[in-house]
Amino acid sequence: MSLENLILLTGRTINQGVALEGGKTTKENVRAAGICAIDKDDFKKLDSIVGTPVKITTDFGEVVVYSTISEEGPHPGIIFIPMGPWANQLVNPDSQSCGTPTYKGMKAKLEIIQTGKVLDALELIKTLKEA
Amino acid sequence: MVEKKINTVYDVVCPFCGTLCDDLEVDVNIKENLVVEVRNACQIGTKKFFSSNPSPHRYEKPLIKDNGTFKEVSWDEAIDIAADILAKSKRPLLYGFASTECEAQSKGVELAETLGGILDNTASVCHGPTLLAEQDVGVPTSTLGEYKNRADLIIFWGSNPVHAHPRHLGRYSQFVRGYFRKDGRNDRFIIVVDPRNTHTAQIADLHIQVNPNEDYELMNGIRAMLRGVELDAKMISGIPIEKIKELIKILKECKYGVIFFGMGLTQSLAHHRNIDTAICLTRELNDYTKFLITPMRGHYNITGANTVFTWNTGYGYSIDFSRGYPRYNPGEFSSVDLLMRDEIDASLIVASDPASNFPAASVKNLFKHPLISVEPHHTPTSENADIILPAAFAGIECEGTAYRMDHVPIRLRKVKDAPGECLTDREILEKLILKVKEKLGE
Ligand code: SF4
Repeated sequence: MSLENLILLTGRTINQGVALEGGKTTKENVRAAGICAIDKDDFKKLDSIVGTPVKITTDFGEVVVYSTISEEGPHPGIIFIPMGPWANQLVNPDSQSCGTPTYKGMKAKLEIIQTGKVLDALELIKTLKEA
Repeated sequence: MVEKKINTVYDVVCPFCGTLCDDLEVDVNIKENLVVEVRNACQIGTKKFFSSNPSPHRYEKPLIKDNGTFKEVSWDEAIDIAADILAKSKRPLLYGFASTECEAQSKGVELAETLGGILDNTASVCHGPTLLAEQDVGVPTSTLGEYKNRADLIIFWGSNPVHAHPRHLGRYSQFVRGYFRKDGRNDRFIIVVDPRNTHTAQIADLHIQVNPNEDYELMNGIRAMLRGVELDAKMISGIPIEKIKELIKILKECKYGVIFFGMGLTQSLAHHRNIDTAICLTRELNDYTKFLITPMRGHYNITGANTVFTWNTGYGYSIDFSRGYPRYNPGEFSSVDLLMRDEIDASLIVASDPASNFPAASVKNLFKHPLISVEPHHTPTSENADIILPAAFAGIECEGTAYRMDHVPIRLRKVKDAPGECLTDREILEKLILKVKEKLGE
Protein backbone atom coordinates (compact mmCIF):
# COMPACT_ATOMS: atom_id res chain seq x y z
CA MET A 1 0.00 0.00 0.00
CA SER A 2 1.16 3.51 -0.63
CA LEU A 3 0.07 7.14 -0.48
CA GLU A 4 1.18 9.65 -3.07
CA ASN A 5 1.17 13.44 -3.34
CA LEU A 6 1.65 14.00 0.35
CA ILE A 7 3.31 17.04 1.85
CA LEU A 8 6.09 16.43 4.34
CA LEU A 9 6.49 18.75 7.31
CA THR A 10 9.25 18.47 9.91
CA GLY A 11 9.60 20.13 13.31
CA ARG A 12 10.26 19.81 16.98
CA THR A 13 8.49 17.46 19.35
CA ILE A 14 8.96 17.20 23.07
CA ASN A 15 10.09 13.57 22.84
CA GLN A 16 12.64 14.49 20.23
CA GLY A 17 13.86 17.29 22.53
CA VAL A 18 14.18 14.94 25.47
CA ALA A 19 16.06 12.39 23.36
CA LEU A 20 18.53 15.08 22.25
CA GLU A 21 19.97 15.34 25.70
CA GLY A 22 22.31 12.47 26.16
CA GLY A 23 20.35 10.03 24.06
CA LYS A 24 21.12 10.92 20.47
CA THR A 25 22.81 7.64 19.74
CA THR A 26 20.21 5.51 21.57
CA LYS A 27 16.98 3.70 20.71
CA GLU A 28 15.13 6.46 22.57
CA ASN A 29 16.06 8.80 19.73
CA VAL A 30 14.76 6.32 17.12
CA ARG A 31 11.43 6.10 18.95
CA ALA A 32 11.30 9.89 19.20
CA ALA A 33 12.42 10.98 15.75
CA GLY A 34 12.60 7.90 13.49
CA ILE A 35 8.85 8.06 13.04
CA CYS A 36 6.29 9.45 10.66
CA ALA A 37 2.98 10.80 11.98
CA ILE A 38 0.17 10.21 9.49
CA ASP A 39 -3.32 11.69 9.47
CA LYS A 40 -5.89 9.27 10.95
CA ASP A 41 -7.97 8.90 7.80
CA ASP A 42 -4.93 8.62 5.57
CA PHE A 43 -3.64 5.91 7.87
CA LYS A 44 -6.84 3.88 7.41
CA LYS A 45 -6.19 3.77 3.68
CA LEU A 46 -2.90 2.03 4.37
CA ASP A 47 -4.68 -0.91 5.98
CA SER A 48 -1.82 -1.59 8.35
CA ILE A 49 -0.99 -1.35 12.02
CA VAL A 50 0.86 1.36 13.93
CA GLY A 51 4.58 0.77 14.01
CA THR A 52 4.83 -0.81 10.57
CA PRO A 53 7.94 0.53 8.83
CA VAL A 54 7.22 2.87 5.95
CA LYS A 55 9.49 4.20 3.25
CA ILE A 56 9.16 7.92 2.60
CA THR A 57 10.50 9.30 -0.66
CA THR A 58 10.92 12.92 -1.75
CA ASP A 59 12.82 14.51 -4.63
CA PHE A 60 15.79 14.77 -2.29
CA GLY A 61 16.08 11.27 -0.82
CA GLU A 62 14.37 8.41 0.94
CA VAL A 63 14.30 6.95 4.43
CA VAL A 64 12.60 4.14 6.35
CA VAL A 65 10.83 5.12 9.57
CA TYR A 66 8.09 3.71 11.83
CA SER A 67 4.52 4.77 11.07
CA THR A 68 2.28 6.31 13.73
CA ILE A 69 -1.11 7.99 13.76
CA SER A 70 -0.82 11.73 14.27
CA GLU A 71 -1.98 13.15 17.59
CA GLU A 72 -1.94 16.57 15.99
CA GLY A 73 -4.51 15.93 13.32
CA PRO A 74 -6.59 16.14 11.37
CA HIS A 75 -4.15 17.13 8.65
CA PRO A 76 -5.16 15.12 5.56
CA GLY A 77 -2.45 14.88 2.94
CA ILE A 78 0.26 16.00 5.35
CA ILE A 79 2.83 13.74 7.02
CA PHE A 80 5.13 14.83 9.83
CA ILE A 81 8.60 13.61 10.78
CA PRO A 82 10.26 15.17 13.85
CA MET A 83 13.42 17.11 13.04
CA GLY A 84 16.55 14.98 13.11
CA PRO A 85 18.64 12.70 10.93
CA TRP A 86 15.65 10.79 9.52
CA ALA A 87 13.79 13.89 8.37
CA ASN A 88 17.01 15.31 7.00
CA GLN A 89 17.35 12.51 4.44
CA LEU A 90 14.27 13.98 2.79
CA VAL A 91 14.45 17.75 3.10
CA ASN A 92 15.29 20.24 0.38
CA PRO A 93 18.86 21.52 0.97
CA ASP A 94 18.27 24.56 -1.24
CA SER A 95 18.21 27.72 0.82
CA GLN A 96 17.44 30.01 -2.11
CA SER A 97 20.41 32.07 -1.02
CA CYS A 98 19.22 32.80 2.51
CA GLY A 99 21.24 30.12 4.29
CA THR A 100 18.32 28.16 5.69
CA PRO A 101 17.36 24.98 3.83
CA THR A 102 13.71 24.33 3.08
CA TYR A 103 12.97 21.87 5.86
CA LYS A 104 9.21 22.01 5.41
CA GLY A 105 6.73 21.39 2.65
CA MET A 106 8.36 18.82 0.36
CA LYS A 107 6.19 16.65 -1.90
CA ALA A 108 6.43 13.08 -0.60
CA LYS A 109 5.36 9.51 -1.23
CA LEU A 110 4.80 6.91 1.48
CA GLU A 111 4.93 3.11 1.03
CA ILE A 112 4.38 0.31 3.47
CA ILE A 113 7.36 -2.00 3.31
CA GLN A 114 7.47 -5.57 4.52
CA THR A 115 11.20 -5.89 4.77
CA GLY A 116 13.29 -2.92 5.65
CA LYS A 117 14.99 -1.77 8.75
CA VAL A 118 14.65 1.51 10.55
CA LEU A 119 18.27 2.49 11.09
CA ASP A 120 19.37 4.21 14.29
CA ALA A 121 20.93 7.67 14.09
CA LEU A 122 24.51 6.43 13.97
CA GLU A 123 23.80 3.78 11.33
CA LEU A 124 21.94 6.31 9.25
CA ILE A 125 24.68 8.95 9.45
CA LYS A 126 27.29 6.30 8.73
CA THR A 127 25.68 5.71 5.34
CA LEU A 128 26.47 9.36 4.57
CA LYS A 129 30.06 8.98 5.63
CA GLU A 130 30.49 5.95 3.43
CA ALA A 131 28.74 7.52 0.47
CA MET B 1 27.59 17.12 63.09
CA VAL B 2 25.99 15.31 60.22
CA GLU B 3 27.84 15.90 56.99
CA LYS B 4 25.73 17.69 54.40
CA LYS B 5 25.29 15.50 51.36
CA ILE B 6 22.78 17.34 49.23
CA ASN B 7 23.19 20.93 48.21
CA THR B 8 20.23 22.75 46.68
CA VAL B 9 20.97 25.50 44.17
CA TYR B 10 18.12 27.98 43.68
CA ASP B 11 17.21 30.27 40.77
CA VAL B 12 19.09 28.07 38.35
CA VAL B 13 18.72 28.96 34.66
CA CYS B 14 17.78 26.17 32.26
CA PRO B 15 20.26 25.97 29.40
CA PHE B 16 18.05 24.28 26.83
CA CYS B 17 15.58 26.47 24.98
CA GLY B 18 15.26 30.18 24.28
CA THR B 19 12.68 30.59 27.08
CA LEU B 20 15.67 30.43 29.44
CA CYS B 21 13.56 29.70 32.54
CA ASP B 22 15.39 31.11 35.56
CA ASP B 23 13.47 29.58 38.45
CA LEU B 24 14.84 26.05 38.61
CA GLU B 25 15.94 24.33 41.81
CA VAL B 26 18.58 21.68 41.45
CA ASP B 27 19.66 19.22 44.16
CA VAL B 28 23.25 18.11 43.86
CA ASN B 29 24.93 15.27 45.72
CA ILE B 30 28.10 17.18 46.54
CA LYS B 31 30.17 14.18 47.51
CA GLU B 32 29.59 12.38 44.25
CA ASN B 33 29.09 15.50 42.15
CA LEU B 34 25.75 14.28 40.76
CA VAL B 35 22.49 16.02 39.93
CA VAL B 36 19.87 14.10 41.94
CA GLU B 37 16.73 16.22 41.57
CA VAL B 38 15.50 19.03 39.35
CA ARG B 39 12.40 21.04 40.23
CA ASN B 40 10.37 23.48 38.09
CA ALA B 41 11.96 22.57 34.74
CA CYS B 42 9.99 20.96 31.92
CA GLN B 43 10.69 17.41 30.77
CA ILE B 44 13.45 18.52 28.39
CA GLY B 45 15.18 20.86 30.82
CA THR B 46 15.12 18.18 33.53
CA LYS B 47 16.65 15.64 31.18
CA LYS B 48 19.44 18.04 30.27
CA PHE B 49 20.51 18.40 33.89
CA PHE B 50 20.43 14.65 34.51
CA SER B 51 22.30 13.94 31.31
CA SER B 52 25.25 15.96 32.61
CA ASN B 53 25.95 13.18 35.13
CA PRO B 54 28.70 10.75 34.09
CA SER B 55 27.30 8.08 31.75
CA PRO B 56 28.40 6.03 28.77
CA HIS B 57 27.08 8.89 26.63
CA ARG B 58 29.41 11.51 28.06
CA TYR B 59 32.97 12.24 26.96
CA GLU B 60 35.39 12.78 29.78
CA LYS B 61 38.78 12.71 28.02
CA PRO B 62 40.12 14.13 24.75
CA LEU B 63 39.90 11.54 21.99
CA ILE B 64 41.60 11.13 18.64
CA LYS B 65 40.50 8.78 15.90
CA ASP B 66 43.15 6.25 15.12
CA ASN B 67 42.37 3.64 12.45
CA GLY B 68 38.64 4.06 12.89
CA THR B 69 38.55 3.87 16.70
CA PHE B 70 38.95 6.57 19.30
CA LYS B 71 41.97 6.58 21.58
CA GLU B 72 42.47 8.72 24.65
CA VAL B 73 45.14 11.38 24.48
CA SER B 74 46.32 14.23 26.68
CA TRP B 75 44.87 17.72 26.29
CA ASP B 76 48.21 18.99 24.99
CA GLU B 77 48.31 16.39 22.26
CA ALA B 78 44.67 16.88 21.27
CA ILE B 79 44.99 20.67 21.11
CA ASP B 80 48.22 20.38 19.13
CA ILE B 81 46.69 18.12 16.49
CA ALA B 82 43.47 20.15 16.32
CA ALA B 83 45.39 23.42 15.97
CA ASP B 84 47.53 21.85 13.27
CA ILE B 85 44.45 20.87 11.23
CA LEU B 86 42.96 24.34 11.57
CA ALA B 87 46.18 26.24 10.88
CA LYS B 88 46.87 24.20 7.73
CA SER B 89 43.35 24.44 6.42
CA LYS B 90 42.57 27.03 3.73
CA ARG B 91 38.84 27.30 4.30
CA PRO B 92 37.95 26.14 7.82
CA LEU B 93 34.35 26.36 9.01
CA LEU B 94 33.67 27.18 12.66
CA TYR B 95 30.06 26.28 13.36
CA GLY B 96 27.68 25.85 16.30
CA PHE B 97 27.92 28.16 19.32
CA ALA B 98 24.18 28.34 20.09
CA SER B 99 24.35 26.03 23.10
CA THR B 100 27.20 27.68 24.89
CA GLU B 101 27.74 30.92 26.78
CA CYS B 102 28.66 34.34 25.41
CA GLU B 103 32.30 34.39 26.56
CA ALA B 104 32.96 31.16 24.64
CA GLN B 105 31.15 32.61 21.62
CA SER B 106 33.46 35.63 21.54
CA LYS B 107 36.46 33.28 21.69
CA GLY B 108 34.97 31.55 18.65
CA VAL B 109 34.99 34.89 16.82
CA GLU B 110 38.64 35.44 17.76
CA LEU B 111 39.65 32.00 16.53
CA ALA B 112 37.79 32.44 13.22
CA GLU B 113 39.44 35.80 12.68
CA THR B 114 42.89 34.39 13.49
CA LEU B 115 42.33 31.58 11.01
CA GLY B 116 40.76 33.71 8.29
CA GLY B 117 37.97 31.16 8.38
CA ILE B 118 34.20 31.08 8.19
CA LEU B 119 32.15 31.68 11.29
CA ASP B 120 28.56 30.56 11.50
CA ASN B 121 26.02 29.62 14.14
CA THR B 122 22.86 27.56 14.18
CA ALA B 123 20.69 30.56 13.24
CA SER B 124 21.95 29.67 9.78
CA VAL B 125 19.48 26.75 9.70
CA CYS B 126 16.66 28.13 11.86
CA HIS B 127 16.09 31.85 12.44
CA GLY B 128 18.64 33.23 9.98
CA PRO B 129 15.73 34.44 7.81
CA THR B 130 14.45 36.34 10.85
CA LEU B 131 17.73 38.24 11.11
CA LEU B 132 17.62 38.98 7.39
CA ALA B 133 14.09 40.31 7.66
CA GLU B 134 14.88 42.41 10.73
CA GLN B 135 17.77 43.97 8.81
CA ASP B 136 15.38 44.69 5.93
CA VAL B 137 12.41 46.18 7.74
CA GLY B 138 13.27 46.57 11.44
CA VAL B 139 11.19 44.95 14.16
CA PRO B 140 8.60 46.22 16.66
CA THR B 141 9.27 44.03 19.67
CA SER B 142 9.38 43.91 23.46
CA THR B 143 10.28 41.60 26.33
CA LEU B 144 8.46 38.54 27.60
CA GLY B 145 7.67 40.27 30.92
CA GLU B 146 5.75 43.02 29.09
CA TYR B 147 3.80 40.44 27.10
CA LYS B 148 2.94 38.52 30.23
CA ASN B 149 1.58 41.61 31.97
CA ARG B 150 -0.15 43.27 29.02
CA ALA B 151 -0.94 41.05 26.04
CA ASP B 152 -4.58 40.01 25.59
CA LEU B 153 -4.08 38.49 22.15
CA ILE B 154 -1.36 35.94 21.53
CA ILE B 155 -0.70 34.49 18.09
CA PHE B 156 1.57 31.49 17.61
CA TRP B 157 2.38 31.49 13.90
CA GLY B 158 4.28 28.41 12.74
CA SER B 159 5.41 27.67 16.27
CA ASN B 160 4.36 24.90 18.62
CA PRO B 161 5.48 25.84 22.14
CA VAL B 162 3.79 22.84 23.79
CA HIS B 163 6.57 20.81 22.18
CA ALA B 164 9.41 23.22 21.53
CA HIS B 165 9.21 25.72 24.43
CA PRO B 166 7.09 23.87 26.98
CA ARG B 167 7.11 26.44 29.80
CA HIS B 168 6.67 29.48 27.58
CA LEU B 169 2.89 29.08 27.90
CA GLY B 170 2.93 28.79 31.66
CA ARG B 171 5.45 31.55 32.27
CA TYR B 172 4.62 34.21 29.71
CA SER B 173 1.95 33.63 27.16
CA GLN B 174 -1.05 31.59 28.19
CA PHE B 175 -1.93 30.43 31.68
CA VAL B 176 0.12 32.87 33.73
CA ARG B 177 -1.52 35.80 35.54
CA GLY B 178 -0.13 39.21 34.56
CA TYR B 179 -0.44 42.69 36.08
CA PHE B 180 -3.20 43.67 33.64
CA ARG B 181 -4.22 40.09 32.90
CA LYS B 182 -5.31 39.10 36.37
CA ASP B 183 -7.43 36.19 35.24
CA GLY B 184 -4.59 34.49 33.37
CA ARG B 185 -5.82 32.27 30.55
CA ASN B 186 -9.32 33.78 30.60
CA ASP B 187 -7.89 37.23 29.93
CA ARG B 188 -6.08 36.14 26.80
CA PHE B 189 -7.30 35.10 23.37
CA ILE B 190 -4.96 32.59 21.75
CA ILE B 191 -4.69 32.04 17.99
CA VAL B 192 -2.55 29.37 16.35
CA VAL B 193 -1.73 29.48 12.64
CA ASP B 194 -0.36 26.12 11.55
CA PRO B 195 -1.04 23.51 8.84
CA ARG B 196 -1.41 20.90 11.57
CA ASN B 197 -3.83 20.87 14.48
CA THR B 198 -0.87 20.99 16.86
CA HIS B 199 -1.12 20.44 20.59
CA THR B 200 -0.78 24.22 20.96
CA ALA B 201 -3.67 24.67 18.50
CA GLN B 202 -5.74 22.21 20.51
CA ILE B 203 -5.62 24.48 23.56
CA ALA B 204 -6.07 27.71 21.59
CA ASP B 205 -9.26 29.70 21.02
CA LEU B 206 -8.86 29.80 17.27
CA HIS B 207 -6.91 27.61 14.87
CA ILE B 208 -6.20 28.90 11.38
CA GLN B 209 -5.25 25.79 9.42
CA VAL B 210 -3.22 27.39 6.64
CA ASN B 211 -1.97 25.31 3.70
CA PRO B 212 1.73 24.35 3.99
CA ASN B 213 4.05 26.92 2.38
CA GLU B 214 1.22 29.44 1.90
CA ASP B 215 1.67 31.66 4.95
CA TYR B 216 3.08 34.42 2.77
CA GLU B 217 -0.11 34.66 0.72
CA LEU B 218 -2.28 34.59 3.84
CA MET B 219 -0.34 37.38 5.56
CA ASN B 220 -0.41 39.56 2.47
CA GLY B 221 -4.12 38.84 2.07
CA ILE B 222 -4.67 40.04 5.62
CA ARG B 223 -2.56 43.15 4.95
CA ALA B 224 -4.56 43.99 1.86
CA MET B 225 -7.90 43.48 3.59
CA LEU B 226 -6.70 45.56 6.51
CA ARG B 227 -6.31 48.42 4.04
CA GLY B 228 -9.86 47.93 2.85
CA VAL B 229 -9.12 46.06 -0.37
CA GLU B 230 -11.96 43.73 -1.40
CA LEU B 231 -10.23 40.57 -2.63
CA ASP B 232 -11.72 38.71 -5.53
CA ALA B 233 -11.23 35.26 -3.97
CA LYS B 234 -13.25 32.88 -1.81
CA MET B 235 -10.25 31.45 -0.04
CA ILE B 236 -6.66 32.43 0.65
CA SER B 237 -4.19 29.67 1.50
CA GLY B 238 -7.06 27.33 2.34
CA ILE B 239 -8.81 29.82 4.66
CA PRO B 240 -12.27 31.12 3.67
CA ILE B 241 -12.42 34.92 3.26
CA GLU B 242 -15.18 35.10 5.89
CA LYS B 243 -12.90 33.51 8.45
CA ILE B 244 -10.11 35.94 7.58
CA LYS B 245 -12.52 38.86 8.08
CA GLU B 246 -13.36 37.47 11.50
CA LEU B 247 -9.65 37.15 12.27
CA ILE B 248 -8.95 40.75 11.21
CA LYS B 249 -11.71 41.96 13.52
CA ILE B 250 -10.07 40.15 16.42
CA LEU B 251 -6.66 41.58 15.52
CA LYS B 252 -7.96 45.15 15.36
CA GLU B 253 -10.02 44.97 18.51
CA CYS B 254 -7.43 43.61 20.92
CA LYS B 255 -5.68 45.93 23.36
CA TYR B 256 -2.20 44.47 23.01
CA GLY B 257 -1.33 41.74 20.55
CA VAL B 258 1.83 39.76 20.01
CA ILE B 259 2.92 37.35 17.32
CA PHE B 260 5.30 34.59 18.36
CA PHE B 261 6.56 32.96 15.19
CA GLY B 262 8.66 29.86 14.70
CA MET B 263 10.35 27.74 12.10
CA GLY B 264 7.03 27.18 10.35
CA LEU B 265 7.76 30.56 8.76
CA THR B 266 11.56 30.58 8.54
CA GLN B 267 12.03 27.07 7.16
CA SER B 268 9.23 27.02 4.59
CA LEU B 269 9.48 28.19 0.99
CA ALA B 270 9.31 31.96 1.35
CA HIS B 271 11.90 32.00 4.20
CA HIS B 272 12.80 35.62 5.09
CA ARG B 273 10.01 37.00 2.90
CA ASN B 274 7.58 35.39 5.34
CA ILE B 275 9.18 37.26 8.22
CA ASP B 276 9.36 40.54 6.28
CA THR B 277 5.63 40.30 5.75
CA ALA B 278 4.89 39.22 9.32
CA ILE B 279 6.81 42.23 10.62
CA CYS B 280 5.06 44.59 8.18
CA LEU B 281 1.68 43.19 9.21
CA THR B 282 2.60 43.76 12.86
CA ARG B 283 3.65 47.33 12.11
CA GLU B 284 0.46 48.03 10.17
CA LEU B 285 -1.70 46.69 12.99
CA ASN B 286 -0.26 49.48 15.14
CA ASP B 287 -2.54 51.84 13.20
CA TYR B 288 -5.37 50.25 15.17
CA THR B 289 -3.90 48.95 18.41
CA LYS B 290 -0.63 47.92 20.03
CA PHE B 291 1.03 44.98 18.24
CA LEU B 292 4.47 43.42 18.61
CA ILE B 293 6.36 40.41 17.31
CA THR B 294 9.03 38.06 18.73
CA PRO B 295 10.74 34.99 17.25
CA MET B 296 10.59 31.76 19.26
CA ARG B 297 14.31 31.08 19.34
CA GLY B 298 15.26 27.43 19.82
CA HIS B 299 18.69 26.96 21.38
CA TYR B 300 19.00 28.68 24.72
CA ASN B 301 21.75 31.08 23.65
CA ILE B 302 21.30 31.42 19.91
CA THR B 303 20.18 35.01 20.51
CA GLY B 304 23.49 35.47 22.36
CA ALA B 305 25.44 33.97 19.47
CA ASN B 306 23.86 36.44 17.04
CA THR B 307 24.42 39.31 19.47
CA VAL B 308 28.04 38.45 20.30
CA PHE B 309 28.94 37.87 16.64
CA THR B 310 27.29 41.18 15.75
CA TRP B 311 29.10 43.32 18.30
CA ASN B 312 32.41 41.72 17.28
CA THR B 313 32.03 41.67 13.50
CA GLY B 314 28.95 43.68 12.60
CA TYR B 315 27.03 40.57 11.49
CA GLY B 316 24.97 37.92 13.24
CA TYR B 317 25.92 34.77 11.28
CA SER B 318 27.38 33.58 7.93
CA ILE B 319 30.62 35.52 8.31
CA ASP B 320 33.75 35.06 6.20
CA PHE B 321 37.16 36.28 7.41
CA SER B 322 39.17 35.05 4.42
CA ARG B 323 40.05 38.58 3.30
CA GLY B 324 41.18 39.56 6.77
CA TYR B 325 38.00 41.49 7.55
CA PRO B 326 34.49 40.23 8.16
CA ARG B 327 32.14 39.85 5.19
CA TYR B 328 28.54 38.72 5.47
CA ASN B 329 26.50 36.90 2.89
CA PRO B 330 23.95 34.25 3.79
CA GLY B 331 23.59 31.84 0.88
CA GLU B 332 27.31 32.17 0.23
CA PHE B 333 28.96 31.90 3.67
CA SER B 334 26.15 29.99 5.40
CA SER B 335 27.20 26.48 6.43
CA VAL B 336 24.75 24.36 4.44
CA ASP B 337 25.37 26.32 1.24
CA LEU B 338 29.15 26.10 1.73
CA LEU B 339 28.88 22.36 2.28
CA MET B 340 26.59 21.87 -0.71
CA ARG B 341 29.30 23.52 -2.84
CA ASP B 342 31.93 21.38 -1.04
CA GLU B 343 33.91 24.50 -0.31
CA ILE B 344 35.37 23.86 3.14
CA ASP B 345 38.43 21.76 3.93
CA ALA B 346 38.16 21.39 7.73
CA SER B 347 35.59 22.11 10.42
CA LEU B 348 35.42 22.90 14.11
CA ILE B 349 31.99 22.23 15.55
CA VAL B 350 31.26 23.74 18.96
CA ALA B 351 28.28 22.50 20.99
CA SER B 352 26.24 21.47 17.98
CA ASP B 353 25.31 18.43 15.93
CA PRO B 354 25.16 19.34 12.25
CA ALA B 355 25.30 15.67 11.21
CA SER B 356 21.81 15.29 12.70
CA ASN B 357 20.52 18.71 11.78
CA PHE B 358 21.76 19.46 8.26
CA PRO B 359 20.24 18.03 5.07
CA ALA B 360 21.87 14.69 4.21
CA ALA B 361 23.59 15.91 1.04
CA SER B 362 25.50 18.57 2.96
CA VAL B 363 26.51 16.15 5.75
CA LYS B 364 28.26 13.95 3.20
CA ASN B 365 30.60 16.82 2.36
CA LEU B 366 31.15 17.69 6.02
CA PHE B 367 32.56 14.20 6.57
CA LYS B 368 34.98 14.43 3.64
CA HIS B 369 37.32 16.71 5.58
CA PRO B 370 38.91 16.72 9.06
CA LEU B 371 36.30 17.39 11.71
CA ILE B 372 36.96 18.58 15.27
CA SER B 373 34.09 18.36 17.72
CA VAL B 374 33.89 20.30 21.01
CA GLU B 375 31.07 18.42 22.67
CA PRO B 376 30.01 16.97 26.04
CA HIS B 377 27.91 14.11 24.60
CA HIS B 378 28.01 11.35 22.04
CA THR B 379 26.28 12.70 18.95
CA PRO B 380 26.26 11.55 15.32
CA THR B 381 28.64 14.48 14.61
CA SER B 382 31.12 13.74 17.39
CA GLU B 383 31.12 10.01 16.71
CA ASN B 384 32.22 10.74 13.13
CA ALA B 385 34.77 13.37 14.15
CA ASP B 386 38.54 13.02 13.99
CA ILE B 387 39.13 14.78 17.30
CA ILE B 388 36.78 15.11 20.25
CA LEU B 389 37.48 17.82 22.81
CA PRO B 390 35.25 17.03 25.83
CA ALA B 391 33.41 20.08 27.12
CA ALA B 392 31.68 21.04 30.33
CA PHE B 393 28.00 22.01 30.08
CA ALA B 394 27.66 25.78 30.20
CA GLY B 395 24.94 26.68 32.67
CA ILE B 396 25.37 23.44 34.61
CA GLU B 397 29.11 23.00 35.02
CA CYS B 398 30.26 26.57 34.46
CA GLU B 399 28.85 30.07 34.62
CA GLY B 400 28.42 32.44 31.74
CA THR B 401 25.90 34.76 30.13
CA ALA B 402 23.05 33.78 27.82
CA TYR B 403 20.44 35.86 25.95
CA ARG B 404 16.78 34.92 26.18
CA MET B 405 14.72 34.95 22.96
CA ASP B 406 13.70 38.55 23.72
CA HIS B 407 17.35 39.68 24.05
CA VAL B 408 17.34 39.81 27.85
CA PRO B 409 20.78 38.68 29.08
CA ILE B 410 20.70 36.30 32.03
CA ARG B 411 23.62 35.01 34.06
CA LEU B 412 23.85 31.22 33.97
CA ARG B 413 24.70 29.39 37.19
CA LYS B 414 27.04 26.56 37.94
CA VAL B 415 25.54 23.73 39.97
CA LYS B 416 28.28 21.09 39.86
CA ASP B 417 31.74 20.33 38.52
CA ALA B 418 32.31 18.76 35.12
CA PRO B 419 33.34 15.10 35.20
CA GLY B 420 36.74 13.73 34.17
CA GLU B 421 39.03 16.06 32.29
CA CYS B 422 36.31 18.18 30.68
CA LEU B 423 37.12 21.85 30.20
CA THR B 424 34.70 24.67 29.47
CA ASP B 425 34.11 25.69 25.84
CA ARG B 426 35.84 28.98 26.58
CA GLU B 427 38.95 27.28 27.96
CA ILE B 428 39.12 24.91 24.99
CA LEU B 429 38.82 27.76 22.49
CA GLU B 430 41.44 29.79 24.35
CA LYS B 431 43.88 26.89 24.15
CA LEU B 432 43.17 26.52 20.44
CA ILE B 433 43.69 30.24 19.81
CA LEU B 434 47.09 30.19 21.55
CA LYS B 435 48.22 27.10 19.71
CA VAL B 436 46.97 28.27 16.32
CA LYS B 437 48.73 31.64 16.79
CA GLU B 438 51.93 29.81 17.69
CA LYS B 439 51.69 27.68 14.55
CA LEU B 440 50.92 30.66 12.35
CA GLY B 441 53.93 32.42 13.85
CA GLU B 442 51.87 35.24 15.33
S1 SF4 C 1 10.82 25.71 28.71
FE1 SF4 C 1 12.87 25.69 27.83
S2 SF4 C 1 14.13 26.87 29.29
FE2 SF4 C 1 12.20 26.35 30.33
S3 SF4 C 1 12.66 24.45 31.45
FE3 SF4 C 1 11.81 23.84 29.44
S4 SF4 C 1 13.58 23.58 28.10
FE4 SF4 C 1 14.26 24.72 29.90
